Formats: sequence, C-alpha cells, structure tokens
Amino acid sequence: MENVVIQNRQNSEAEVLRKQAQRRKTILNVVYYLSGTLLAVVFLFPLVYMLATSTKSESAYASDAGTLMMFLPDFNNLSAAAENYKKVFVSYGVWQYAINSIVYAGVIIVLNIIVNGLAGYVMAKFDFPGKGFFSFIILFLIVVPVETSIIPLYSIVKVLLGMKGTISVLAVILPATISIFNIFLFIQFFEGIPKEYEEAARIDGAGNLRIFFSMILPLSKPIVATVATFCFIGAWNDYLWPTMVLPYAEEGAWPLYPIQSALTSIQSIQGITTGEFMASLVVTSIPIFIVYVVAQKYIVQGFGSAGLKM
Amino acid sequence: MLGSTLAILGVLIAIFAGFAVKDVLLAKRKGTRYTFRNCLVSYGMMLPAVALAFIFVLLPIIYSLGYAFTDFYLLKPNNIKFNGFENFENIIESIRMKGDMYNAIRNTSVFVVGVVPLQIGMALGLALFVNRSKKAVGIFKVCYFAPVVISLTITSYLWLQILSPSEFGLLNSVLKLFGAEPKDFLRDPDTAMLWIVVISAWQGCGYQMLIFLSGLTNIRKELYEAAALDGATAWKQFLHITCPGLRSTFLFIVITVFVGACRVMIQPMLMTGYQSHTVTLSYYMYVQGYSYRWVGYSSAVALLMTIVIGSITLLQRRLLREKD
Amino acid sequence: MKKFLKTVSVVAMASLLAFGSACGPTDDSSTDKDGNTIVKIMFHVDEKSAEGQAYKKRIDAFNTAYKDQKIKASASYVARTAGAADYEQKLTGMQNEGSLPDIITFDAPNCASYANSDLIYDISDIVPQDVQNDFLSLNKYNGKLYGLPIQESSAGFYYNKNLFRDAQIDVSGYTVDNPWTFDQFKEVCQKLKDKSITAVDMRLDATKDETATYLLYPFIYAAGGEFLSADGYTATGYFDSAETKNGFQFLKDLVTSGYTSYAIGATDFFDGKVGMYLSSGWTIPDLDNKYPEKFPNRDSWGLLPYPKGVESASATGSWSFAITNNHHEDKTKIKELLLWLVTPESSKGITDATGMIPARKSVETNYGAGSPESVLLSQLAKTGRERPVTVGYPQFSNNFRQVIYEMKDADVATVLGQKAAVLQSELNKLKK
Repeated sequence: MENVVIQNRQNSEAEVLRKQAQRRKTILNVVYYLSGTLLAVVFLFPLVYMLATSTKSESAYASDAGTLMMFLPDFNNLSAAAENYKKVFVSYGVWQYAINSIVYAGVIIVLNIIVNGLAGYVMAKFDFPGKGFFSFIILFLIVVPVETSIIPLYSIVKVLLGMKGTISVLAVILPATISIFNIFLFIQFFEGIPKEYEEAARIDGAGNLRIFFSMILPLSKPIVATVATFCFIGAWNDYLWPTMVLPYAEEGAWPLYPIQSALTSIQSIQGITTGEFMASLVVTSIPIFIVYVVAQKYIVQGFGSAGLKM
Repeated sequence: MLGSTLAILGVLIAIFAGFAVKDVLLAKRKGTRYTFRNCLVSYGMMLPAVALAFIFVLLPIIYSLGYAFTDFYLLKPNNIKFNGFENFENIIESIRMKGDMYNAIRNTSVFVVGVVPLQIGMALGLALFVNRSKKAVGIFKVCYFAPVVISLTITSYLWLQILSPSEFGLLNSVLKLFGAEPKDFLRDPDTAMLWIVVISAWQGCGYQMLIFLSGLTNIRKELYEAAALDGATAWKQFLHITCPGLRSTFLFIVITVFVGACRVMIQPMLMTGYQSHTVTLSYYMYVQGYSYRWVGYSSAVALLMTIVIGSITLLQRRLLREKD
Repeated sequence: MKKFLKTVSVVAMASLLAFGSACGPTDDSSTDKDGNTIVKIMFHVDEKSAEGQAYKKRIDAFNTAYKDQKIKASASYVARTAGAADYEQKLTGMQNEGSLPDIITFDAPNCASYANSDLIYDISDIVPQDVQNDFLSLNKYNGKLYGLPIQESSAGFYYNKNLFRDAQIDVSGYTVDNPWTFDQFKEVCQKLKDKSITAVDMRLDATKDETATYLLYPFIYAAGGEFLSADGYTATGYFDSAETKNGFQFLKDLVTSGYTSYAIGATDFFDGKVGMYLSSGWTIPDLDNKYPEKFPNRDSWGLLPYPKGVESASATGSWSFAITNNHHEDKTKIKELLLWLVTPESSKGITDATGMIPARKSVETNYGAGSPESVLLSQLAKTGRERPVTVGYPQFSNNFRQVIYEMKDADVATVLGQKAAVLQSELNKLKK
C-alpha cells in the first residue's frame, strides 16, 4: 500500500517535473519568438515606413506623424498613392532608368561569369608556364586592401581609353565584369570537380570551351548562381561610378543613367513631396527584393561554399 | 598617358616572362610537361580576364601610386609634372591646421571604432540567435538580411527621412509624444557620426550574420554533445567550443568589416553633404580629386590610406592567427 | 543552366546593341550629310522645363534663320534628374575626354576657374564692343571676356502679405532706394515671432549645393565684410576679418533669437506657415502659378530687398553662355549662334519664361512700380555685388557653406578663423 502511494507520489512528482519542463520550454519558446519578432521589427520598420509613406499625400504624411498610422498605408485616399506612383513613373521618367539598370546588370552578370569563370577554370585545371605569376597577383589583390580612389580609374577611362558619349556605357560595364574575388571563388569551386568528368568529355572529343560551357558551368550551378546574384545586387545598387562617367542624354535620346543615379537628383527636384520621393525609393528597391526572395537560397549558399579560407 | 601605360605593360610582361621561363626550365625537374597547344588554350581563355584586370584593376593602382607624386590637375591632363613629396607635405599641413584631412581622419576613426565592434557584435548575436532548428527561423533570417540588399543610396535617403529635423520626421514625431523638441540629429557634431555608425551597422550586419552562421554550422555537433554530457554550461560551451571554432571566420569578418568601414563615403555624402563633422577619408579623396580636381593630392591620400589599412590588416592577421 | 545562360546572354547582348543604336552614334564631325555646319550647344536645364522650352524655341528659330548659311544648331539638355553641381563636374569630364560641345552654359562664379584651365575661350574680340556695352554685367577674368550672361538674377525676401496684415506689420516703405536696416529686419521678425509664426526661412539648410552661398553671401558684404583679396588668392585677413564675422554673426543671431532655424520644411512658406522666404527670382513664377490656395494673386505676397547693414548688397549672378576651347578651331560659325542667343529678342524670350531679369539693357521691361520684378531689377542696378572671382571658387563655396553649417553650434569667430586657414591652404595649392 505504502509502496503504491510512494509510487504514485513519484509518478506525480515526475509528472510535475515534466510539466514544469514543458512549461519552461513553452515560455522559452514564447520569449524566443517574441524577441525574434522584435528584432525583425527593428530591421524592417524603415522599409515598412518607406512603403507606407509612399502612398500618402503631403497632408496625410504630416497628420500621421507620431501615430502608428505612420506604418500603415493611407487606405482612405488610394488616389494619392496612384498619384505618387504615376508621377514617379511618368513625370520623372523612372521607368527608363529602371530599364537601363536592368540592361547594365544583365550584361554585367553574363560577362562577369564568363570572364572570371574562364580564368578560374584555367587556374584550377590547367598547368602552364607563368601560372605562379597569376596566382601571386590574385592572392596579392585579395589579401592586401589596395585603396585606390576612383579618380585614377576615371582618368584611365576618360583620358587613356577616351570613352565618351554613348561609348561611356562600356565604362560602366567593363570595370564591373572583372572581379578578382569571383575568380578566387571559381578556382576554389572548380578545384573540387573531379578530373575524371573532364577526361571523359575530352575523350568524347569536346573542346575546352565546350567543356567549360556545357559541363563545368552546369556542374557549378551553386557558385554561378551566387556570383550572379551578388553581381546583380552590386550592379543595381551602384551609384557613384555611373554618375561620374555617363553623359547627359542628347536631345530626344534615351537617357543613359541607371536608376540609382537618377534617384539622387529626383530628390532635389523643387517641390517634390515626401510621398513621391518615397515612391521612387520603393520603385528602386522592388527589383532587388524580387531577386533577393528568388535567389535567397544562393545567397546563403554562397557563404557556405568558399571564400573563408584566407 | 599611352606611353606610360605601354611602359607599365612592358614591365609586367617582362616579369611574367621571367616566371614563365623559370617554369619551363624547371619543368623537367618537377616532372611537368607543357604542350604548346595546352599553353595556347590556357592563355587564350585567360586573356579576357587578364586584359580587363590589367586595365581596370592594376593600372588604377599603379597610376594612383604614380600620381601621388605629381601635380595632376584634372582640368590639365596633358600637363602633369612630378612634384616630389609636395602632396604629402600638404597632407601634413592640413592635419596640422586641423583642416579637412584632420577631420576626415578623425571621423573615419570614429566610424571604424564604432562600427566594427557594433556590426560584428550584432552579427554574432543574430547568428547565435537564428542558429537553431526551430520553426520560422528562416523567416527571421530573411528579415535580418533584408537591409543588406538595398542600396546605400536608398538606405541613406530613407534614414534621412526618418531622422528628418522637421516635427514630422519619424524619430522626432515619436520623441514629440514624450514632449521633446525636434532635434537635428545629423547636424549635431556629437551625434551625426554615431547615427551613421548605427545606420551602417543596421544595414550591414545581416551579411556577417550569414557568414558567422556558415562558420557555426561547420563546428561539429558532437563537441557540444560531449560538453553537455560533461555538464558544461551554455556559456562555457560558447567560450570553449564556439569561440575557437569561429576563429578563422572571425578573422575574415574583422578584416572585411574593417576594410569596408575605412572606405565609408556614400552615407555622409548623401546624408549631410561635405561637412567637417562627417567628411570621411574616401569622401575627402573624392572631393579633392573630382570637385577640386587635384588628382595628384587625392592619390597621395589614397596611398597613405593603403599603407595604413594594409598594415593594420596585417597586424590583425598576426594577432588573430598567433593563437592557432 | 546552359540554355539559361545562353538565353540571358543573347537577350543581354541584343538589348545592349539596340540600346547603343537607339542612343544614336556619337560622331565628332561638324558637318552633316547635307553640308550643314553643326554647332553643338549644351544647356544646364531640363528640356521640358519652361526655361528649356524657351531655349528650344530660340534654337529652332536660329535653325530657320540660318538655313541658307548652312549652319545648324544641335542642342543637348541636362536630364531632369541632374543637379547643378553634377553639371559642373560633367563639364570637367567632357574637357578631359575631349567631347566639349561648341557652346556651353555655366554658372558665372566658375568663370575664373574655367578660363584659367582653358576650358572656355577668350571672346573679347569676337563680341562687338557695342554689344558688350549693352550688358548689365559680363564674365571677365584677367581683363578678358569669357562669357555672356543669359539673364540676370537677384534674390530677396518673399513675404506673406496676409500674415503681415495679421501681425500689423507695414513694410511698404522699404525699397531698394530706402532699404530696411538689419535692425528693422529684426524688428519685423520679432513681430512675427510674437504672433508665434516662424519669421523667416533663411535657407540655412541649403548647404548641400550652391543655393546657400548664392542667397547668403550678400549679408557678409552688407556687414562690411570681404571674402578674398582682389586677385582671389588670399583668404586670411579677409575671410576671417571682424566685419566678415559680423555678417555671419547677424545670421546666427537670427537663429538664436528664434526667428529662423536650420530645419524649416521646404514647403512651409508656401503652406503659409512662415512669414518670409529668402529666394531668387525663380520663385516668382512658382508663387504666381503653383499655390492658388495660399497665394491666389499678387495681393497675397510681395518681395522685399536685402536689408542694409553698414552698406547695401544684394545677390547677383546667373548662368552665362561661353564658347569652349574644343577642337573646332574655326569659331566664326559658332560665334553666330552665340550672338543669336543673346540678342534682345532671345533675351526677352528666355526671361519671359523664367521670370528673371534680361541681361541686356536695351530689352524693354515694363515692370509695375513696386512689383517683385522691379525690386530685383533695381537691386541689380544699385546694390548687386558679385561673388568673389577666384580660380578656387569650388573651394571657396564649400568653405562658405561649412561656416553656415557649423556656426550653429560653435563660436562664429573660431569657425571663420579655421575655415580661412583651410581655404588659404587650398588657394596656395592653386597659386603654384
């Protein structure tokens, strides 16, 4: 009898302990998710604010200040939102600059992968006289932070290469197609591809370029996608350099500026409202967020693969 | 400019030829066999990268080095004369009289000293926070990383609006609820640089979070399990397993964040314009080289920056590596 | 992957090509296929703006008039989305790459700097003396003529007549000939402040570009101050003199007295929240057309001249035309376009669109007595002072704006002393 009682007591004690642990776990979980959400708010509130403000007229912006309405769109007056975005697209011509940015980014991505990929392929898989020289330069440029201002690059592009007028587009694209760091990434990845694949292809009579394009690149999908994603982000977000090298549009011609360069001056338009300006910021950030959401996997992958072995 | 470029190209080719000849001569001893065809293919496929790297990476570095000792004035590109160490004397003069070079050094130092620990600390904290297999952790990661992908231009303008001195600016309108007067955060010499630090850390730390995360996943799980069996507390585990496991990641992050921080320019440029209390070294270089047109002087500043950043980086490498 | 890459690259390359051809080929040849001599000109404004449209009209008229002489003007305009500071740097870049058009517009204070670097061409002998004499001002450097003003600008204090009526302030007696003094200016501010209205928007926040320099430098002259020596190479002793300090101190006092601040919203004056607004003539068309609620007609706003300190001074200076020193050695045909653009007729066409003052004396103006335009015109004739002529103008302007920015939280004399030394060291570099 006593035994049973003790047994029961022990059982119930275990039960209590288990429940306590359970409760502790639940509380910890709640705390975890609460703080996680709070942190998310810290990181996202400016973006939400930007989105909300972009739908408002100047008076709504002023009257919402200091209330939670700052973070909510103005649903009562949706025509204000339409007005803001229409003005950004039509009057300020943002769509033209957006197309420019997409073209620049697209060309840069393709060239960047081909140029640096080929170099990485050669460095990883071939042996040739003078290879040590290239290895040395690559290592040097990665390890030593060389601080050149963009001014010498500017004088090279303008004075030495004489890129002017429409040709200046090349000055935006070409410097962005070479990236020593990407070569480094490619070398590291390609070294991991077994030699047998290549040898098999070679026996089948495939040429080097063919092997590179139809075998090496497809096998390296993760690193290619990572490089492409970061290339896009870099090209889309570049601001100072394109502003410096590109000319103004000739009369009636298509402008050459990318969207970020246009943004700085949209801000200084006389009489532009807060809502309109926020709308132009939203328009500028939408493509980058689409790419981010789609390519998120590759961004994370990029960090796992290589680049940390300094 | 064409002449000097060809000369530089010649020197580089000569050095390369030296390497190549040495390789060919030592080929037999090493047992490597070069075939002519293979060499041709290799050089051919390397060519685009080598040409682009020469023009857009190496040449600017070499020119910047050379320009540092000239009086290159952007409006007179055909009349460049060597002027010895005059540019460096001017730099010292500007520091001595507490001119903008002095301000730039001070502001950049404030920024670096502020942002490096803050950003790395935030990144490490976030990485530890999301490094567990719970539901919805992926969403958290996405949120924390989001500011990284938007451009510096947008970040700067957005925060300019948030910190707007008018009573309708986000921060001021919130402070107003507590009865505070509107403040001009970015104009105040005491707070402007700190705000730029906070904004940069806010934007950047998601990137380092992911790098830390990949470092964390590389630490073997068994180590923690063993430690837990030995009764080690979470703090002890962090100290004795996580920290050593993250050392090489940490080194990488410290160096990249440090070098990136030294180059800060767009945020002050767009948020305050050229002002003594926010001008940074890169911004100073840009204004001197492009607005004032003193390419020579600007290059001298760049050269000094390379030397300083380079030696500090080497030092960091030493300190963090030694314990291995 | 391969397919994807292929598609992307084909699309990208094709669009790049289309892109290039859409933008048109850039050729430097100065004649077109019909044998017309092409004269290229670049304007600093957007084509669609009122000012851009006025230029376009004059260019079209030129092309019609000179059809027989086989001269054709081809214009390019700055995109809407480009600021003035950007334009200056772009000019520098164009000189570097050798792609300067034949005629450019430039902001007058840059004259010395451009002339000194051979960016613009000496037109002393090109422009007939009688035409030169007809201008209100000319862009000269070292005694030689380099630019002809497009139009003249001046600035003043726009004021909200309704607010002034409410506060019972009478400013009708203040004219250019009988200007208000610094003290009277402060009295008006005080009366507005008593009504808890922000008295005046001094544009102290406009320090990111030339605006603050352009609007505020006359206060320093009015206080008896100077910026630089006559040759433009000495700042110490001028930029930090006691009189210069008084001028800046006056501006700072306006802030400490609560009459103005560094954080007035860009549209506050137009929303009727601020009594006075310091701005240039370009605000006249805005007030006439853009804000019918608060400013339905000219009975609701007026313009007051700069107040007088030790002496009178007002802002002047505008954009000018110049012939560039590009590879076209023969300037005879380029000259035709330059002279066409500054004829009284052109001058009138342009100023009608911009609301500014014609640059030539012979252009008839029929501004009503006391009208905003007449205030600007008589300021120009009687109290206008130029910004300092110096090769280091960008450096000067930068330091001026830094003083405005920094004096908010610091002692004016200290800031001035420091900036004078910095400016001096920059000028020393240029002197060599």
